Amino acid sequence: MKKLIGAVVIGLVAVTLGVGGVQGQAQLQGEYKIGVLQPLTGNLAAEGKRHLEGYELMRDLINERFGGVMGKKLVFAVGDAPDPTAAASEATRLATREGVKIISGTFSSTLCGAASEAASRQNVIYWETSCVDPRFTQRGLKNVFRTEVDGTGFGWYNVEFMAKHLAHRLGKKPNELRVAFLSEDSSYGQSVTEMARKRAKEEFGMQEVAAEYYAFTTNDLTPTILKLKAANPDVLHHIARNQDAILFWRQAREQNFQFKALVHAGATGYGSPDFGKAFGNDGNGPFALLEPAPGFLIEKLRPEGQRIERAFREAVKAKTGSDIPAGGHQLAAGGLWVLKLALDAAKTDDLDKFRAAVFAMDIPVGSAINGWGVKFEPNGQNTNARVQHYMLQWQGGKMVTVWPEEFTTERAKWIPLGNWDARK
Amino acid sequence: MDVIPQLVASTLLLGGLYALIAVGLTLIFGVMRVVNFAYGEFLMLAMYLAFFAFSRLALDPYVTLVLALPVFFAAGMASYHVVMRPVIRASHNVQVFTTVGLSIALQNVALVLWTADARTVRTEYYATTVRIGGAALNFAQIVAFVVAVACTAALFAFMRWSYTGKVMRATAQDRQASSLMGIDTDRVYALTWAVGIVCVGVAGVLLAPVYPVYPTAGLQFVLIAFVAVVLGGLGDMAGALIAAVIVAAVEVVGSYVLGTAWKEVLYLMLFIGILVVRPAGLFGQRGAEALGT
Repeated sequence: MKKLIGAVVIGLVAVTLGVGGVQGQAQLQGEYKIGVLQPLTGNLAAEGKRHLEGYELMRDLINERFGGVMGKKLVFAVGDAPDPTAAASEATRLATREGVKIISGTFSSTLCGAASEAASRQNVIYWETSCVDPRFTQRGLKNVFRTEVDGTGFGWYNVEFMAKHLAHRLGKKPNELRVAFLSEDSSYGQSVTEMARKRAKEEFGMQEVAAEYYAFTTNDLTPTILKLKAANPDVLHHIARNQDAILFWRQAREQNFQFKALVHAGATGYGSPDFGKAFGNDGNGPFALLEPAPGFLIEKLRPEGQRIERAFREAVKAKTGSDIPAGGHQLAAGGLWVLKLALDAAKTDDLDKFRAAVFAMDIPVGSAINGWGVKFEPNGQNTNARVQHYMLQWQGGKMVTVWPEEFTTERAKWIPLGNWDARK
Repeated sequence: MDVIPQLVASTLLLGGLYALIAVGLTLIFGVMRVVNFAYGEFLMLAMYLAFFAFSRLALDPYVTLVLALPVFFAAGMASYHVVMRPVIRASHNVQVFTTVGLSIALQNVALVLWTADARTVRTEYYATTVRIGGAALNFAQIVAFVVAVACTAALFAFMRWSYTGKVMRATAQDRQASSLMGIDTDRVYALTWAVGIVCVGVAGVLLAPVYPVYPTAGLQFVLIAFVAVVLGGLGDMAGALIAAVIVAAVEVVGSYVLGTAWKEVLYLMLFIGILVVRPAGLFGQRGAEALGT
């Protein structure tokens, strides 16, 4: 009898520990350190800090509730990368001084190239969670991986939205849509815009009525607006960096430029909370391709996707008080979660074994944060089709998820946009 | 052709903003021969002052403008005595490093204190537009333009006709000779620096209803202000105003005719071209570029 009781007790302890293992109740053996590189000072610091906060939220969640990485407590060595030179030198420092075998970052397309080159020279894995420059995975580097879509994916999704949703809402066929392309001139802006131009023209026969690039530090966009106004587009495809979105929107209103829809992609410009703070209800109308916002139906995800998504949202709520994670949080946390899955599968940071484990992962859409899935291409890029994206719209001073409609309770409004004062 | 009134209006309004920023810089540059790379950061601080006065105290930026005068005069005096005075007789290299250091320090203090978020002063009249002859003019930019012209005129008059202005011009022409004539050049420099900082303080507060503020907001204006100052003739107030309008015209018309991507190429080519032909700038006296060195 005593043996039976003993066996039951041992069994209960084992079950408890097992559950603890899943829930990660401090059963972690030692620490595992990775480098996290973000622009924490300079022009890009707003988004860089948001991304770092996303990393930290997910790190704590992984350690406290999901068993750490490879059974160890995940810790960070953080580097500041305000510009490409600093990105390269900090990546080198993290590899040589901190001794990390994996560096993750560096949200901007202006930084990830230099940082990953430096990491490659140190034979360190570079795990990108956000930069969308297509060249990042086209250099034949074996050490680079990216969980987010590249810029071409953004352009692809934007045109998908224009063709499959905006066209019929505007009472036109896709090949009747008049589209003007406007973008800031970084590699991010160019990659999104050029892919969108290509797909709009070649696949849907849309009419390109203008294409303009500008430096995001431009102080006056009125001359550009006058040109675009003369081109009379239905849809304005505008990729903006940050303050240029605020400047354009104000000056477009001053010039009474009445395009019928504005489509953006990414967490900057119209995708940044700063845009909403600048305009409130006067900013209603623009679309931004992003990660899911209010309206998102979590119950449409697979059970494992629902579990991590809900845990992540609770953590964001506890940290920021907000029910909705910011875009930077979602990209950083989503990417770090996939890294955890990869490390747990590989059980090592040896580059060859890690690569083999990454390429073996085949996780369907709806299984991870943001409803993502995982299937890496041989160049280290997570497949566009697995990185599910969503179209958000500014409504009532907030961004809400409006497309694809099967994933959301909210619906796109003001198509066409109509008068500037009539979008309340 | 129907866009010409708008292009003219945009040129004047943008030129007004550049002139407003350039006028204090030309004073410091002209009298002290110090290239103040921290100038843009004082602009940024003034924009933050307007933002916080608006968001915390509900003060309109045009009320804050009155507050900014003593605040920035004090800030100018303090920064001169703490940072610039020890290096005022040092080489230009040392001064450049000092002001660049001050610039980076101020940017990062702003970043730590207020984060890198772009913040906007959304007044009741932020979208108010005045329409004249087919052109739409932003109200806050009209005010900035009027103040720019008034500031330039006031500084011009001050330098030309006041005794202190005459003392400043004497110091600008020859620091040692003016010392020998009994001028307290240290006091002149402190005053010049502080008045220059007051000018940029006024510019920053007036810019706040027009542009978002973030820690590096000054950078996108200050390079153009430098171009206007050099183009106008170092230390020449009216020259800086006219040069600012010329730079704005090149930017606006170039953006419209050739494309926005070309605007910086165009005004910097113009800048180089004019300096090749007239090294002292459009309105500077021959040899002015070497004075005081």
